[in-house]
Amino acid sequence: MAMSQEELLRSPAVWQPRSPEEAASMKTAFGPDAVYAAGSTLLRTQWEAGTATMPRHLIDLGRVAGLKGITEDGAETVIGPMTTLTECRTSERLAESAPILVEAVKAIAGWSVRNLATLGGNVVFRVGDSVPALIALNASLEWLEGSRRVRTSAEEWAAAPSSASRLLTSIRIPGGEAGARANAKRFCAYHKVGRREAFTPSLVTIAIQGTREEDGISSIRIAAGGGQTTPVRMTRAEELLLGGRPDANLLQAVYEAVLEQYEPKTDPFAADLYRKQTAANLVAAALWTQFRDSASKG
Amino acid sequence: MLLTRESSGERWRIRPDGPGKVTGELAYLTDMAAPGMLHGMVLRSSYPHARIVAVSTEKAKTMPGVRAVLTCADVPGLNRFGIAHPDHPVFCEDRVRFIGDAIAAVAADTALQAAEALKRIEVEYEPLPIVDDPEAALLEGAPQLHEQGNVQHRNDYRHGDPEAGFAACAHIVEETYATPRQMHTYMETEGGLFIPERNGRLTVYSPTQHAFMDRMQLARILDRPEADIRVVSSPIGGSFGGKDELNVQPYGALLALATGKPVKLHNSRWESVRAGLKRHPMKIRMKTGTDAGGKLLAHRVSIVSDAGPYSTLSAEVLNFSVEHALGPYRFGAAEVKSVCVFTNNGMSGEFRGFGGNQAVFAMEGQLDRLAEKLGMDPWELRRINLRKPDDPGPLGQPISATDGVRQVWEALGESRLWRERERARSANAGRRAEVGAGAKEADATSTGGGPAAVEPPPWIKTGYGAAFVMHGAGLGVGIPDPAGGRLRLAQDGRIEAVFGYEEFGQGLIASLEQMLIEQYGFAADDLRIVIGDSDVVPNSGSSTASRSTSMMWQSLRRLRAPFKGKLRAEAARLLGRPAESVKPLAGGVRDAGTGELLLTYAELASRAEEEIAAETSFFYPTSPVDRVGSHFMYSYSSVAVKAEVNTLTGRVRLLDQFHAVAAGPVVNPQGYLGQIEGGSGMALGFTITEDAVMDRGVYLTRNLDTYLVPTIAELRGACEVLPIEELPEGDEHGPRGIGELGSVGLAPAIAQAIFEAVGKRVAKLPVDPQLLQERVGFG
Repeated sequence: MAMSQEELLRSPAVWQPRSPEEAASMKTAFGPDAVYAAGSTLLRTQWEAGTATMPRHLIDLGRVAGLKGITEDGAETVIGPMTTLTECRTSERLAESAPILVEAVKAIAGWSVRNLATLGGNVVFRVGDSVPALIALNASLEWLEGSRRVRTSAEEWAAAPSSASRLLTSIRIPGGEAGARANAKRFCAYHKVGRREAFTPSLVTIAIQGTREEDGISSIRIAAGGGQTTPVRMTRAEELLLGGRPDANLLQAVYEAVLEQYEPKTDPFAADLYRKQTAANLVAAALWTQFRDSASKG
Repeated sequence: MLLTRESSGERWRIRPDGPGKVTGELAYLTDMAAPGMLHGMVLRSSYPHARIVAVSTEKAKTMPGVRAVLTCADVPGLNRFGIAHPDHPVFCEDRVRFIGDAIAAVAADTALQAAEALKRIEVEYEPLPIVDDPEAALLEGAPQLHEQGNVQHRNDYRHGDPEAGFAACAHIVEETYATPRQMHTYMETEGGLFIPERNGRLTVYSPTQHAFMDRMQLARILDRPEADIRVVSSPIGGSFGGKDELNVQPYGALLALATGKPVKLHNSRWESVRAGLKRHPMKIRMKTGTDAGGKLLAHRVSIVSDAGPYSTLSAEVLNFSVEHALGPYRFGAAEVKSVCVFTNNGMSGEFRGFGGNQAVFAMEGQLDRLAEKLGMDPWELRRINLRKPDDPGPLGQPISATDGVRQVWEALGESRLWRERERARSANAGRRAEVGAGAKEADATSTGGGPAAVEPPPWIKTGYGAAFVMHGAGLGVGIPDPAGGRLRLAQDGRIEAVFGYEEFGQGLIASLEQMLIEQYGFAADDLRIVIGDSDVVPNSGSSTASRSTSMMWQSLRRLRAPFKGKLRAEAARLLGRPAESVKPLAGGVRDAGTGELLLTYAELASRAEEEIAAETSFFYPTSPVDRVGSHFMYSYSSVAVKAEVNTLTGRVRLLDQFHAVAAGPVVNPQGYLGQIEGGSGMALGFTITEDAVMDRGVYLTRNLDTYLVPTIAELRGACEVLPIEELPEGDEHGPRGIGELGSVGLAPAIAQAIFEAVGKRVAKLPVDPQLLQERVGFG
């Protein structure tokens, strides 16, 4: 009993590695007794709610070199995972290259939280509101796994996170679809629906990015998530849309496809059917807004 | 004229407690600390309903830093509390009835030690069947929560012959309305500092709406004379009715006396949700009928209210609901049956609006549904049935007569928002006539309050709604409702206004100061407001039921002649001048003719032969009937809103609102506007986001990340407030209460706006988006 009392009174040891390698080796050494800490905004709500216990070791990533900032690498936009949500929100580069990510970040928590919380933290949460946007953007994630660098797509990672211990080292957003013609126009949409207008957990989040050309949609990625539902691509709707023009009939089919494919997790605050219908409505309405002229002619 | 900062001119004052609150400099009572103070915590039940087989505190007592572990065996006096019906155990003896029930309390050197000690208290429970549905609780064979059974209170009312009335009706609507378990969500959670003094007295620094009631209840629990307890009760970080009843005070007081040391308790938000009061969830069935012309012939109401496990003010809230389920309308015949039921759900209790919010949501919903059947404008249907100034009150009782009903009814029709509705309706009618002719949408119908008239997408639907509120103030017939106050010239030359009311953010201090400046001619610097300390203030009754400002106004009116007379007489004597030639005004006593300062208040205080003071005490006016709880003074309000439904998501946004309020003179413009706007924000939560969801007696919304109060994003759009100050000639009652009024009418107005927008009737709050969601179509 005395031991447990001491344990309770003991705050976790906080480690401040200077490189990703050092951070990863600490995590290897401490194993499950250690947790990486970025902005810690999610961790502290979990500790307070009792859904996670405070670990013995916190590995603070705040001093790790090279994990912060938004840069370019060829056509790719590279975001350090320790970049705060506020920094993402106000980045001109992101506003240009990934507007739906900026929209997503705006809709996460409140001002004070966004000043502390990081994009990397939201990504590794897996059900964070940035993840549908990153899937729609076809973003990839770079990790340090032991001493090995690993690259996965955001979509793959959301679908099946690695059981191995990994440290997220960068979030990469591709610039422009490969093979897209010069006259291809990008379109995109992001919508989050919660139980109130701001500072709210998501019930349904959808993100869309695509390109349109003269003869119709030349590329499209649609992601849906929200609440405890891991974001997934709405591949059936994408298939229907590819090469097509979203007229009223096509939008009805897209609605049906999302309704059928999206499988949300439920909670006491919204029914399964409501989430499905919301996702389907938001996707169809977002496309209608983009293709309003051709849709109303259809 | 609309009430704004600009229209108020110099009457718009910076409130004295404003800067400290905005900068965070002001210390609330729960910010206080004392040297050597201990930290108190309460062990609450693990089950919503269980028999307590055994409690062992032995292990907890041996934990490091633990100074006391108390249970029911350690309560010297009455092991119960409750303002009206003391049936809430301080510590449960053999049974727990909800998950907030207290079993033991610990005081330790640190909060962490206290928390750890709670885990070492061993309680053996035998779970009992859970009663979580008030209607099921009334069925034969339901587990009984108290010796008296599960019925906490019944209250029925009847006049005329409803059956005959319904038989004569041309139109009848029947609906069942349900309202949420709303949380007060004050920023400052319950807590306090409890100090055993050297002279044997106990000082309680803990927010409450009525220090003397807390003192009486604590004396009963501690088995000590009331005079041995001092309750310091203000400033308070919000209450809204939620801190009127005792919360942590019994535990702090018992622990402080047991240890002989100061003890601090301060609920976490989690504990506040678990143990604190909520608004009574009610299910209200109404059947209402009219003749072919819209005249109300019959009205039948049945109310089932969920009290939770203990009484507090549940009976009084139910009585208020009964009265307000009849409202400002005249019925040929009416019958109300109501019951408040004990359950193993969370505690329900006093909350701004006091049972009126639920009843008015239902009553106004009936009028809107009837208007649809009649093919009549809903506002016109109200006019046909509204009471006249000299008509009796809702329960047939005499009430103070004003023309408030007509005034707010007319004001709504003349409001910018309602005229916008009229234009939108005629534009819509015009467009329908021109279908196929390529008619463009009229600007007035498509603006969302913004300047640009962009045509909204097809899934955005807007509508307008309005509601009528007649809200009783004061505690009502049969409940002691004392009032009063004291003015004195203190030794340092300050004029002290001493009242037993509390400042919980409503602006009471500012209102009192403003009245003394405007009505007495004093300057702000002459004054010292003294409230919130049972050792010093007179018992002015509770700061509740929209009564404080009215009663301060009454008190000052009664004190004016005696107090100013004494100032004047003593100054005249000292100056050797006739009394008529001097006047107590700003800064001191002045020459009545020239205004020249003759004697400062400090000089007057130091030279006066005896203390200059005046005191008054009286009672809140009541109706001369014997029906308990019926009211004499009412405030009237009409509310219009414009709201938008997004049919993709079913979510509702409030775009614009207008409130006409007839409640006598505006004492303090800033406070008045704040009360209506603030009440409206609370009503918006009640309507669209707030519900403390319970499942089998356990809260699923345990913190503010799932219990969602409106944010600034919900509260966009205009909120116009039109005060109607005019009272009948000879009226002696002055300003009526407005503290609750703003929280009542918004919900039914939004429900009607939703109906206008999408044609669906909302009968359950908060609005379920799924009900309003539609499959998107682009045909």
